[in-house]
Amino acid sequence: MGTLRYILQRLFYGLILITGVVVLNFFLIHAAPGDAAEVIAGEMGGITEEMMAEIRANYGLDQPILVQLGLYLSQILRGDLGMSYHFNQPVTTLIGQRVGATILLALSAQVLAMVLGVVLGVLAARKPQGILSGFVSVFSTVGYAAPVFWTGLMLVVLFSVVVPIFPVEGMISARFRGDAFDYALNVLHHLVLPASTLAILFLAQYARLSRAAMIEVLGADYVRTARAKGLGEWRVTFHHALRNAVLPILTVAGIQFGNLISGALLVETVFNWPGMGRLAFDSVLRRDYPTLLGVLFFASAVVVIANLLTDLSYRLADPRIRTGGR
Amino acid sequence: MARIHTAKPTATKTPEAISPMGEAWGQFLRNRPAVFGLVLLAAIVAFVLYGRYGFAGDPYRIVWGPLTAPGVREGVYLGTDFLGRDLLTGLLKGGAPTLAVGISAAFLTVVIGIAVGALAGFFGGWMDDLLMRLTEFFQVLPALLFAMVLVTLFSPSLFTISFAIGIVSWPPTARLTRAEFLRIRELEYVTAARSIGASNRRIIWRVILPNALPPLIVSATLTVGVAILFEAGLSFLGLGDPNTISWGLMIGQNRGYLLEAWWPVAIPGIAIFLTVFAVSLVGDGLNDAFNPKLRSR
Amino acid sequence: MLMKRRTLFGALASVLALGIGLATAQPRTGGEMVIVSGENPRHLNPAVQSGVATAVPGTQIFASPLRVDENWNFHPYLAQSWDWSDDGLSLTLNLVDNAVFHDGVPVTSADVAFSIMTIKANHPFQTMFGPVEAVDTPDPHTAIIRLSAPHPALLLALTGALCPIIPQHVYGDGQDVRDHPANNAPVGSGPFRLAEYRPGEQITLERFDDFFIDGRPYLDGITIRIVRDAASVTLSLESGEADAGIITDASAITRLGATDGLTVTPRGFEGIGPIQWLAFNTRVAPLDDVRVRQAIAYSMDRDFILNALMRGVAASQQGPIIESSPFFNPDMPSYNLDLDRANALLDEAGYPRDADGNRFTITMDTIPGRDSALGNVPEYLRSQLREVGINVELRTSPDFPTWAGRLASGDFQMSMDVVFNWGDPVIGVHRTYLSSNIRPVIWSNTQGYVNARVDELLAEAGSTLDTDARRALYAEFQDIVGAELPVYWINALPYHHVFDDRIELPLSIWGMMQSMDEVYWTEDR
Repeated sequence: MGTLRYILQRLFYGLILITGVVVLNFFLIHAAPGDAAEVIAGEMGGITEEMMAEIRANYGLDQPILVQLGLYLSQILRGDLGMSYHFNQPVTTLIGQRVGATILLALSAQVLAMVLGVVLGVLAARKPQGILSGFVSVFSTVGYAAPVFWTGLMLVVLFSVVVPIFPVEGMISARFRGDAFDYALNVLHHLVLPASTLAILFLAQYARLSRAAMIEVLGADYVRTARAKGLGEWRVTFHHALRNAVLPILTVAGIQFGNLISGALLVETVFNWPGMGRLAFDSVLRRDYPTLLGVLFFASAVVVIANLLTDLSYRLADPRIRTGGR
Repeated sequence: MARIHTAKPTATKTPEAISPMGEAWGQFLRNRPAVFGLVLLAAIVAFVLYGRYGFAGDPYRIVWGPLTAPGVREGVYLGTDFLGRDLLTGLLKGGAPTLAVGISAAFLTVVIGIAVGALAGFFGGWMDDLLMRLTEFFQVLPALLFAMVLVTLFSPSLFTISFAIGIVSWPPTARLTRAEFLRIRELEYVTAARSIGASNRRIIWRVILPNALPPLIVSATLTVGVAILFEAGLSFLGLGDPNTISWGLMIGQNRGYLLEAWWPVAIPGIAIFLTVFAVSLVGDGLNDAFNPKLRSR
Repeated sequence: MLMKRRTLFGALASVLALGIGLATAQPRTGGEMVIVSGENPRHLNPAVQSGVATAVPGTQIFASPLRVDENWNFHPYLAQSWDWSDDGLSLTLNLVDNAVFHDGVPVTSADVAFSIMTIKANHPFQTMFGPVEAVDTPDPHTAIIRLSAPHPALLLALTGALCPIIPQHVYGDGQDVRDHPANNAPVGSGPFRLAEYRPGEQITLERFDDFFIDGRPYLDGITIRIVRDAASVTLSLESGEADAGIITDASAITRLGATDGLTVTPRGFEGIGPIQWLAFNTRVAPLDDVRVRQAIAYSMDRDFILNALMRGVAASQQGPIIESSPFFNPDMPSYNLDLDRANALLDEAGYPRDADGNRFTITMDTIPGRDSALGNVPEYLRSQLREVGINVELRTSPDFPTWAGRLASGDFQMSMDVVFNWGDPVIGVHRTYLSSNIRPVIWSNTQGYVNARVDELLAEAGSTLDTDARRALYAEFQDIVGAELPVYWINALPYHHVFDDRIELPLSIWGMMQSMDEVYWTEDR
């Protein structure tokens, strides 16, 4: 099967999945008691029934639910995710403003976790019974076993209160004025704690995964051959073995994307990071369902694309694999 | 939140390994972290059971001034929370709901996961296609967000929380089960069973499932930890069950006072951490014990 | 209570400064102020949106006809003077002639008329401009407000966030004002204009150079940072990442009050009058029996709530009118902890204890999203009501509409709530007790309380201009509701202003919810 055809097929399936996500959640949200008119009424500070009826008419809430769903889906096709009830702005604008922050947080955490995790895992794998190996297997579990928001709170107490070296919240200082370089530095300063918090959660998995993969690979014939040829231990480890351990790590990185989003939601809440996670959280608590649906739509699209990219890089990394009818 | 289960299909190809339990147990006992995890877990369960059945304290009772530090007052060993309620009593009484959510969510996960995975793996064809699309659907759904929507919808209670966690967590188990079934159904003894006319149900239940069990046990164990963390996350976001003290709820309620008092947040956090840690060590130990490749090294 | 910590050196410095002369009393120009806010505004137009989060930026962007000071006295703002007609049925506003909107268009009486009628039609506070029939505009700088009945709260309704003058040439384009795009990019005539708005994150305001008051504002800009977590709000004020803020959290107030260089004060909230109360659904058993409601009131230890839970930072609140208001009646019935009396009342009402000591189980809702400010009071009430045999089941609502829907439809027994007085009882108090206001809408008379005498008293007080006469009417009203307890008032929510000691910040009854053109830094930060 050609790669292009494969991509198209996957995209098509992805589209169906995403539509499913939107439809399911659309019905779930509409099944709940209370509607947007009540949200808006409460948000405005309490209003009359006439105003509420007017709002229902304006937002099309008085239509049958299937009509509303149809309208919503056709809106999405036109690239319009509706207006947020809470922020009173187009949902696409809101998501656009936040997606960068979340990507920055998620990717830095991912990279940090992957690099540190792989290094730890590889080192541990070289002596599977050694102290470092035991350390890695125990401590990789430690990072994972603590609730991520709790880790975040503890880091705030440690590094923003007891030893105040990192900012408490946000992505950029409120009174920041300066050029692009200062801006980057300022953001980086704010990024350290949230990215570390999120990275600690995933570090464990990369460490144990690369340890396991490396143990397997280091026992393989071609690595023994490389050793026998007298190649240095480091060269064997990183050049020959690691390259073959990359596949499972990549797979996990791809599958992790959904979990990364869940983790980011909690971390963003702790650190007031202006990303999609906080937007999602606010929209759940406010029953701001255009925003909520928009975020769900967007998040599932990201997962679909991440999975596709993982599979593609898989094919690139190992041409033997032909991901057929999976 | 959820971790990827690193449990792999067992590589044994010979029927002699059908009953590797005894050997695995021996292997497990040689694994020091795993034994440590088991002991820790036993201690935690004993603590929680004592709190549930043997201890008469009222976790809602205000015993002393709010936010009293641990050890400041005799009898209030772990200090008090923002209302002046005893934290140790809270830990004792909050353990059972926490574990209950973890275990029931894991149970639901395993039941759905095995059902879907077994049907897909055994029958293949359109059934496999359909069920795997369903699995993908739930994997694409952002888990925490969807759980929040569910809990919001049905209003937070231990039951809805367990349900929501179970609903979003089963896909990895389903995939794992399916992979095991795909592998085992081609093995000689399955073909043999089929040739003597055993029914599908009998083959699934009596022949394949027992052989697929080891990685599923590992997966189920680890899922308990995932579910406990999940419940804590929901509680932290204010979506916990307000009428049942759980460790997650304790963190969520005391979070606003973190600057003044770290202990009402730190202590339940440590309890959650120790539990998940113990469960993970046991899960990893089981994984290693069932996985002869790691054993050989 | 003003908590002001100064170092000895600081005190010495100010004494020296006084000695040198009035040099420091001269306002300094320049500098920016960062305000941290725990709440997110829906948008920035107070004409169609109530609440503190919108009011703070909204009053900087939009000017109002009048201002009010800390003693409830009125001062000129967009209106340089005003005259009542003898019958009290019309008010003439004489506008300044040099006011322009941020887009350069002059402010005229037509904008004033448009604004008042828009607010009357769209603002949640229907009583605010209820009696206004029309606004006449004989010339561009004169607006005459015509009333159908005397309206004692009219002047107050022309101040601060209650009456932003919005430009007719922007909002009069036929779009619905409530979700007008300009609400997120507002054009006003206030001292600051919007430079950047990142919803849920930050609002950046910059000095408006053509502001109609010469030499004002003193500040170059105001940045409002939205931080949702109470602990983070505290930390950003403590670390100086923010210069000012509004906080309601007892632990934050105590902590910041003890921080050098910060002023923490409850002043500036006399206007909004935030009352925390326990609402009873008076239509359902057992709460339809006044004795049960009284018994619940007698079960609570107000001192414990104020001193232990609120750490002594919240004021007591015994009645429906905020205690700092001139209309509060200190002699109204009050309730203090008396468990014997509570038990007796419950027995008398026909709810004896069963074998386990329980009388009945009752649900209590809590308003979501205000956890740290009031989350501990519901928990306390649950513990306390157990003492008299009442089991309380807490029902949290995962989101605001769920809670609002339950209250509005009467699907509740008790609920914790925070309701604002909004300056004059006509605006914020009547709505809770008038039987004509039993409507399926949040913050109306959701208790289903009916008392014909109360209806009469409020109707009269709402159309009487004489303050003493009104005070007498409200005194009787408070006596009645105090005895009948449709709600149990617990405390004033401890709203506090926090700001850097080096900021000179005049606090009117509206606090930061009024133009901050007079705010300045006494020294560079």
